[in-house]
Amino acid sequence: MLATPISTPAKGWGRIWNRRNRYYLIAFLFVLPALINFTVFRYLPILAALRASMYQYSLLGGFGDFVGLDQYHAILSDSFFRNSLWVTLKFTIYKVPLQVLFSLILALFLARENLGTAFVRSAVFTPVVTSVIVVSVLWSMMYHSQLGLINSLLSIAGIPPQAFLSNPDRALPALTAMMIWKDVGFSMIILMAGLKGIPAVYREAAVVDGAKPWEVLWHITLPLLRRVMMFVMVTQTIFSFQVFVPVYAMTRGGPLERTKAVVYYIYQYGFLFQDMGTASAMSIVTLIILLVVSVGQMRLFRSDVSY
Amino acid sequence: MSILDNVAGNLAASTPGSSTELRRATWRGRLQMAVLIVVYVVMFLAFTIPFFWMFFGSIREEAEIFANLYPFTWKTILPIKWSLKNYLDIFGISDDGQKFGLQFQRFLGNSFLVSAGVVLSSLFFNTLAAYFFARLRFPLKNVLLVFVIATMLVPFQATIVPLYIVVDALGMANSYSGLIFPWYASPFVIFALMQFMRDIPTDLDEAAVMDGANLFHILWRVIVPLSIPGIITMALLEFQFIWNLFYWPLILISSPQLQMIQVAIATQTTQTQTFWGRTFAGSVTASLPVIVLFLFLQRYYVQGIALTGLKG
Repeated sequence: MLATPISTPAKGWGRIWNRRNRYYLIAFLFVLPALINFTVFRYLPILAALRASMYQYSLLGGFGDFVGLDQYHAILSDSFFRNSLWVTLKFTIYKVPLQVLFSLILALFLARENLGTAFVRSAVFTPVVTSVIVVSVLWSMMYHSQLGLINSLLSIAGIPPQAFLSNPDRALPALTAMMIWKDVGFSMIILMAGLKGIPAVYREAAVVDGAKPWEVLWHITLPLLRRVMMFVMVTQTIFSFQVFVPVYAMTRGGPLERTKAVVYYIYQYGFLFQDMGTASAMSIVTLIILLVVSVGQMRLFRSDVSY
Repeated sequence: MSILDNVAGNLAASTPGSSTELRRATWRGRLQMAVLIVVYVVMFLAFTIPFFWMFFGSIREEAEIFANLYPFTWKTILPIKWSLKNYLDIFGISDDGQKFGLQFQRFLGNSFLVSAGVVLSSLFFNTLAAYFFARLRFPLKNVLLVFVIATMLVPFQATIVPLYIVVDALGMANSYSGLIFPWYASPFVIFALMQFMRDIPTDLDEAAVMDGANLFHILWRVIVPLSIPGIITMALLEFQFIWNLFYWPLILISSPQLQMIQVAIATQTTQTQTFWGRTFAGSVTASLPVIVLFLFLQRYYVQGIALTGLKG
């Protein structure tokens, strides 16, 4: 397009102006569809939710009275909403550090390239490509108090059948264990990429200086991996905070509200109780919490070691 | 400690060279090797046994699943009597399947249709946008890039009710278009492809400009052929994302005829909770496309996650 001859001769600067504008216009057409998508499907929903959160609003009844910030007051004093935030936080606190620890162990064991590790890596990664719903349905059968595979495995050690998902104290840990199993391969891949990114010179230098292998791991590899581990921690925190499918498929928030995570509570309000106004207010509160975490992430990333 | 030494040693030695060779020759090295193999086998089984249980459970007679549970033996996992009845049921071929009105071929078809729509449209529009950000001149381009990147901060599951409000207002609730349209562009894909295209030398498209090719021609003839590995990677990740999507079709689709397979597993088989064989068969059907693609194109997956995960 740059070299296309302009058919109508014009004055010098006018021709350049036209040509440049035409280039800009065509260039803009390349990005326009994506911009429309993000405006309509990513930004507009937030504005729509802000508006809906200030009205009585249901899918069937449409918009009702303007209620201002009443619904925010209501949810912030709603003990069930606070409970759901607490459940979500507990899930995240159980899951993220353990997942990072396990994925680090797996990454260290499986970093070396050979046929054996290739097999194990594929196995560890299979739950990652499988959908959360299949994993949840499968594990709810595995956790079954009489017919589950886990109780069958426990019977080898002589342990009698246990209830997992129907036991209020065990349900959330059971969901957490399953989601760690599903996601650990994902963070393992990122940590392995991080391991490969550390220049071998550092470790070799330490070995030449007489460092023991575990000293190399503790003093060289792990500190240099800190940045990647931070990244995994923060992205996994944001993923985990939005847990929905396992709660939907395995416990429906029970027993005794012990697994009712916030996204499931929002779903319940919006689609089961038909109260979109309150559901929107809760979405906005959750969004703000997660934005604070994300901004915190960026702060952390600015100050770090480089190599 | 010896295992830790070994593992750390793997990392310490950049090339598995002489020191490892030497150690392998010793008795202690052999023991370490044996322990390491046991660890690998345990890891492998921990991640695959549930899938074996699911897969073999789907091709055996249902009563067998329960009959061989205690004590745990090979029969707990592996079938004695093979049977395809569970599959005949979920595809509505057998009488039992027809009685329950099961028609997984329908849900499978919907999932393929929606996935094809999302993968093709998103490849097209994301490639255009990535080309814009990587290679074209535009005033305030960086502001537009921030506009795109900032959408990565919008948490997907937490804002799905707001998204539903908008899509419903656009009249796309309970339709294929509602399943496809929100995903035809992705900030992660644009960002990853942009990184890819930036590395292509600019003299190539300058040469094309000399030839009088227009921007679309340059993209199609020069940039896209050189970005094929990146594009395949992104297509795979997009396919996995849309195929496995659950929450969005769950709330968007109200008529069973339009439902995707992941939702069908949860709604069609769990109401008949005792039919574990069918649930297994449905889960295998829903997982097979992504698992097979992954096993064949593993390298692209790993690259894609390292690329979007690390740089995104």
